[in-house]
Amino acid sequence: MAPLQKRALYSLVIGVVFAVALIVIFIVKGDVTTFDEDLGFRLMVYALWVGVPLAYLIVVNLTLRKPGQVDERDRLIMERAPRFQFLAVLFSLTAWVIVLTEVFSDQGQVPVIYLTLILISTLIIGTIAQALGILFGYWRGESRA
Amino acid sequence: MPNAGRISNRIRRLRFDNDEMTQEELANHAGCTRQTIIALEQGKYVPSISLAFQIARAFSVTVEDVFQYEETG
Repeated sequence: MAPLQKRALYSLVIGVVFAVALIVIFIVKGDVTTFDEDLGFRLMVYALWVGVPLAYLIVVNLTLRKPGQVDERDRLIMERAPRFQFLAVLFSLTAWVIVLTEVFSDQGQVPVIYLTLILISTLIIGTIAQALGILFGYWRGESRA
Repeated sequence: MPNAGRISNRIRRLRFDNDEMTQEELANHAGCTRQTIIALEQGKYVPSISLAFQIARAFSVTVEDVFQYEETG
């Protein structure tokens, strides 16, 4: 397995674990309305908020530490992955807009916590989609330099 | 407009002709990863001109001794 492929796999795992952890915390601690009132709830989310990007940075540095681990084929695959990322982020933001509009249209305002959730979900989806784009590139076998 | 051709290569043959050079050794000589050599041997990847020259240089042959262009259609 190429080092970049390995990194993409680790990123995918981190992204999925982050997403699942976030969903579990929100299910266990209550819905988004308790976020403002429960300090423990907020601390858990902040811990994830700091811990996961840190884990991601460590993984990226450990898997692509040595020079010459990425060659022209890896770069080609890496350059094509953002297409996946762009589409995934676009769809997720569209989904947020539709859902929030439908749920809160009668109230005329959206709770502030959703700003954090939109940011976190965009980062998670961006990371997962980039990893999937890279893995798909290797699986399909990018054929032209 | 001419039809796009297919590029094949003799990398596997040349490796065996060169004291059974391993994919790792060739990758080190050519400045790419072993996975790229595997993809080249399987015909799943067409290298850049620069990498093609580096591979040919690793075997001390010309680029055309390694890569062949076959017209299709």
